[in-house]
Amino acid sequence: MADLVIRNLHAKIADSDKEILRGIDLTVSRGEIHAIMGPNGSGKSTLSHVLMGHPGYEVTSGEVTFDGTDVLELGPDERSKLGLFLCFQYPYAVPGVTVANFLRTAVNAHRDTPIRIPEFRKQMADAMDLLEVDRKMSSRYLNDGFSGGEKKRLEILQLAMLKPQLAILDETDSGLDIDALQIVARGVNHHVGADMGAIVITHYQRILDHIRPSHVHVLIDGRIVRSGGPELAHELDAAGYASHMAEV
Amino acid sequence: MTFLADRRRDAAERNATLGVPTISDEHWRYTNLRGIDFGAFAAAPSSVVLESGALPAGVLLMDLEQAAAEHPELVEPRLGAIVSTDEKFAAENAALWNDGVLVYVPRGVVVAEPLRARFTIADAGAAQQWRVLVVAEEGARLTFIEEHGEGQPGYANGVVELHVDAGARVEYVTFQNRHRETLHFATHRAHVARDAELDWVAVALGARTGKSRMESRLTGPGSSAKLTGAYVLDGTQHVDLDTTQEHDAPHATSDLFFKGVLNDRSRAVWRGVIRVAEGAQRTDAYQENRSLLLSPSAHADSIPGLEIKANDVRCTHAATIGRVDAEALYYLMSRGLDREAAEKLIVEGFFVDALERIGAEDLRETIRDALLAKLQ
Repeated sequence: MADLVIRNLHAKIADSDKEILRGIDLTVSRGEIHAIMGPNGSGKSTLSHVLMGHPGYEVTSGEVTFDGTDVLELGPDERSKLGLFLCFQYPYAVPGVTVANFLRTAVNAHRDTPIRIPEFRKQMADAMDLLEVDRKMSSRYLNDGFSGGEKKRLEILQLAMLKPQLAILDETDSGLDIDALQIVARGVNHHVGADMGAIVITHYQRILDHIRPSHVHVLIDGRIVRSGGPELAHELDAAGYASHMAEV
Repeated sequence: MTFLADRRRDAAERNATLGVPTISDEHWRYTNLRGIDFGAFAAAPSSVVLESGALPAGVLLMDLEQAAAEHPELVEPRLGAIVSTDEKFAAENAALWNDGVLVYVPRGVVVAEPLRARFTIADAGAAQQWRVLVVAEEGARLTFIEEHGEGQPGYANGVVELHVDAGARVEYVTFQNRHRETLHFATHRAHVARDAELDWVAVALGARTGKSRMESRLTGPGSSAKLTGAYVLDGTQHVDLDTTQEHDAPHATSDLFFKGVLNDRSRAVWRGVIRVAEGAQRTDAYQENRSLLLSPSAHADSIPGLEIKANDVRCTHAATIGRVDAEALYYLMSRGLDREAAEKLIVEGFFVDALERIGAEDLRETIRDALLAKLQ
């Protein structure tokens, strides 16, 4: 079952001529985990933001559909309701808005009727326990003064509560120590399955020891230059990207 | 009643010599009154509603005209002692005030429940000359909430005098939610004596054009003034908040924190001066103004100023004017919040540090709800 289909996607920064994505083709189904690996500047983060609808990027050609719906016509909020979720590399701080208030607003945005407070509290507590997050985090302001590790855990906590059908993890491993990485991976693995597929964007192979990909793609200079199975990640880890860059 | 009649006559004479201020007047540089026909507004019966819990013995919350007749010994020395008739709107008010309130709490008396006065213009086109005299005698404690309700469109001009005597504590809330076509002018001025505390909260939501002077004068050592402002403007509203923190005595503290959100083509001006007199050593004064613009056509001016004549003081100020961060908006929207909901959450967060300065929880909630309701 083909859920996310990307065809010949080209994109640039909105007020510049520089094309960053230069023809991406990718199909991701539920239950699959696709790793997208590549060096800095290859367009990995751009791909994640273009899929989520960042207003700073402009799609110049190509198409993206999710379950047959044209994603590119939708705002970020509608994409979220369609089942897409981006785990941000650099989550934003919103001072004055508590984590609990934000999470409840987000959960309610995905529902027809507001969630009952006790049910919400239980869901939040369960997700916090799974991710070994201090429950006091719920009364702190969203990402305000959070450490890198706390921000990443909160991203996965949001994933756990919003239950997306396609999760995009943008360099979720960066800045995490091995313990935090294992906890984050546990959170993702808990949700990947028949109902959720994932795109794991990373520079390093390390996260893929914990979130095991079914497919691996190499992104260089805005194009996927090679695709393969999990073994490709190990090969890249040993040999680096240089040989692929020479192909471009 | 002779003292009041004499005062009114003197003020009327003074008023007759004063013209409507123009933008070349220092305090009116950002608010242009040209084209407003003040003569078109008719003096007419307006409305003042007073509310309180059971009042301890000696405490007065009453009509000011009646108080002047019944308690001249209280009113005569205090009325007009803080706000002079040197300025046009204050002189006009001193001559013509019709809706007046006296709040009087005698020495050492604590009033637990808030005392409230609600001013509204009852008839369209009317002029409401409102006047408030608050006297907190030595060691007294009170909360006074002054609300300016929507009512009918008209012209409101007020003078508020706050006497915070030695060791007294006054929480003063002025909540302006006048009709969107009303002109609202006010001169609020407080004298805070030795070891006394003034905790002042100003909210501005209404009026077409508003200009409020909010002045705290720290007259005694060890006194403090905490000033918190919050406003939400939209449409073509213009609100000018003109504050002074005047340190006349040593070892006094003042702390001003004003936050405003501006939508559509609205305009806010905050002009704040910290003035430290010679000899007011060990002054600790702070002022901060933050504006958040929700529309490209909204405009905020933030003009902090320091006039310092003492040499051992700590005076600091900060001012920023910003827009909703597009990246933060995108982040929230990526979680399913539509633009409106995301913006509302950011604005709600923006006001939190101002609201946290309001001690009474029910008041804090009321003000937060009113600010957010204006954003709908």
